[in-house]
Amino acid sequence: MRKFIQALSLLLFTTLFLFATYKLPDWLPADIYLRLDPLLGINAVFAAREIIPRALWSLILIGATLVIGRFFCAYVCPTGVSIDFLDLLFFRKKKRPGLKAEAHFRKVKYFLLVLFVSAAVTGLSLAFLMDPLALLTRFYTFFIYPMATTLINLVLDALRPIFKALGWVTLSHLHYFQAVYYMSAITLLVFGGIIALNRLVPRFWCRTLCPLGALLSLISPLGIFKRRVNEDCNECMKCQKTCPMGAIPENPKGTLLPECIQCRTCANVCPQNAITFPASFSLGGEYSKIDLSRRGFIYSLAGGLGAGFLAIQTPFTLRQGKHQLIRPPGAIPETEFLRTCIRCGECMKSCLTNILQPCLWESGLSGLWTPKMEPRLAPCDQNCNVCGKVCPTQAIRSVSLEEKTYAKVGTAVLRKEMCLVWAENKLCLICDEICPYNAIVFRPVEGFRRPVVIASKCNGCGFCEQRCPVRGESAIVVVPNGEIRLKEGSYVKEAKKLQLEFKPDPGDDKFLLDDSGFKIGEKTKGGGSLHPEEKPQPNKPKGFL
Amino acid sequence: MKGRKQGMTRRKFLQGAASGIALGLVSHPQFVFAKEEVDLAVISGEPAAATKKALEAMGGISRFVKKGQRVVLKPNMSFSRTPEFATTTHPQVVATVAQACIEAGAQQVLVLDHTLHRAELCLERAGIREACKNIPGVHILALQERKFFREIKIPQGKVLERVEVIKEILDDSVLINIPVAKSHSATGVSMGIKGLMGLIWDREVFHSQLNINQALADLATVIKPQLTILDATRALTSGGPGGPGEVKKPNLVMAGIDPVAVDSYGVSIVPWYGQTFKGRQVEHLLIAHQRGLGKIDIDQLKVFKEKV
Repeated sequence: MRKFIQALSLLLFTTLFLFATYKLPDWLPADIYLRLDPLLGINAVFAAREIIPRALWSLILIGATLVIGRFFCAYVCPTGVSIDFLDLLFFRKKKRPGLKAEAHFRKVKYFLLVLFVSAAVTGLSLAFLMDPLALLTRFYTFFIYPMATTLINLVLDALRPIFKALGWVTLSHLHYFQAVYYMSAITLLVFGGIIALNRLVPRFWCRTLCPLGALLSLISPLGIFKRRVNEDCNECMKCQKTCPMGAIPENPKGTLLPECIQCRTCANVCPQNAITFPASFSLGGEYSKIDLSRRGFIYSLAGGLGAGFLAIQTPFTLRQGKHQLIRPPGAIPETEFLRTCIRCGECMKSCLTNILQPCLWESGLSGLWTPKMEPRLAPCDQNCNVCGKVCPTQAIRSVSLEEKTYAKVGTAVLRKEMCLVWAENKLCLICDEICPYNAIVFRPVEGFRRPVVIASKCNGCGFCEQRCPVRGESAIVVVPNGEIRLKEGSYVKEAKKLQLEFKPDPGDDKFLLDDSGFKIGEKTKGGGSLHPEEKPQPNKPKGFL
Repeated sequence: MKGRKQGMTRRKFLQGAASGIALGLVSHPQFVFAKEEVDLAVISGEPAAATKKALEAMGGISRFVKKGQRVVLKPNMSFSRTPEFATTTHPQVVATVAQACIEAGAQQVLVLDHTLHRAELCLERAGIREACKNIPGVHILALQERKFFREIKIPQGKVLERVEVIKEILDDSVLINIPVAKSHSATGVSMGIKGLMGLIWDREVFHSQLNINQALADLATVIKPQLTILDATRALTSGGPGGPGEVKKPNLVMAGIDPVAVDSYGVSIVPWYGQTFKGRQVEHLLIAHQRGLGKIDIDQLKVFKEKV
């Protein structure tokens, strides 16, 4: 029964994850697991110092835990499911050394919780490092998803001749877009480490490290259902040995209530059938206490505050105004963005074009794993606004397509010394051809038609940077200059105020012709010889003689 | 020889004239093989009706598509823009041709393009997939992976010696090019011949390394559609190929076998960038013409015009 619910939960998590892409229906909250996570909620609300509507969903989980207890870890948590499943796969038959001084280890998760919450109070979002849901979403995004795509495409490639022979046209041309991400390896190492720790004891992560588990265990002793052992118990200690959470003390009749996740493994193994989980309203007496030493508490508090200080005030982090990061359209102002973003990676997964990539150190300690745009890899498509839709803390605002178009992320800048037209007089015009907003126009300069960026028409989508045929770095790059970052209110209004216009408008193409006053002479009528190395003709539209 | 009249009598003259006229009438292609012999059909009207008429005027689709054949339709669906931007072929034009092919007994119709924008978006927004979804045997494919292309040689290539093209056009299938009429910032206009670039893998090299106009002519020596249907129901007369730009509504559908002739006529129907041009003034068309790929002077073409 428990395994079934667990499998269902992981399936739901995975399905929602798959749905988090273009074109996500408006009614589907693909980020629901992340919204339900109270640790992420508290972290974002404390760090951002305001109520985040989507974070209020986590009150559901808090309420349910208050009523039922710490069931989340045993039945719902997809990270827990993954740990259980992989444990079964790798370590079932292994003899585990066990954990000496487990009581001490167990405290670590509380220290981490204090550390993360106190860091959040200073304005540093840090819980993402170890929050199980952010961590698993990241692992799915940076590893499982690209890996699964590769495998599926390999299978499709292998079966292609068969599909072809059968005349299945669509299948024989099926290919899934292969997303690539920086930091896939790091993410795999972190997750692999969590699984490897199970070699010591089952659910090592959940027992000793998980800060979300720590948060839930603070309130779980209030829950109604509690483990009870009746007189039939012959103290065989079987339950104590099999408890995956180590929640049964030397006296098997007792229960460490904060640790108990109500998985009922003990009830299932008890030869006397002496264990039940009836509803009861008593608090669990001495075993419900969480023994967090004062010293440990103070150390972790200091650690959190210290980390916050380091990340925000010192040379360990870059000055926010100096970074060259292009944030996704709709990202709130940088300071608030760093505080609110929980680095789950959902935006990067959902991104249609794969332009969104995780930061490593580009904006310092406080910006780890935050999304940035890499226009050289891919452009931001003007018909897609899914990154904001799936952001569980709305660090990227969910806005309409029109609003998103006006959420300018930066401005393209031409590097003339690299541009084929400016530097080599070549007939290149790819940036102009691909620009969705006619922000690049050709103007006669020194007898040649040269591309020029009209900044007020460029919203930084990056099509030009991606398509520029110059090898290596692009000759036209998007820089953050001119980005519009709003915490609230309309991007359209703001852009109009700044006299920006990202709309179909052929005006400037005409300008060139009207101004140049060229005439098409009769002389070309007879044909005449053409030279491949023909000089560019500044006064005519390209391609015409 | 007195008394005998020299030269032509009235009777003889009339006889001769009558037989001459009769011979002329009989031998004039417009009367005998009217539909088979036109170089170009130019039909004005709604997209679907005009397309149907254009096919008919060219001798019917069964002239090109035989029972059991595979057909490749190459519309322009390269941009994730809706039809009113005129950057992509009108869905009704494509659907009408696809339907006609199936009715003519085609075993399979593949509608394909190597899209510039992301495939899903192009398919969704260009409307061609939606328009064709109820026609059995028609498959819409937007191919963006190199594995679906194969390299071929260009024996007559001047700047391009080999090129990777979509595999589907290499077997014996019938290729029908269905471009949209639009301006192009590198080649002046983008119609049938420029549209062939949607069948190749590496387009960047056309822009960055080669003379694009020569390369297009090279490409046209190896990719030869059996029929070109130019959708000028709307024409993007500036801001092309990606738009946004000025959209005019000539309400025309043109069809022809000669790819240069179709494009050349297409150049003449509207002013581009506010200027009137002739086919000869479009460099890649002129080069293609000079290399013997088709006629460029539209006054020498037999054009069938009609309004539906």
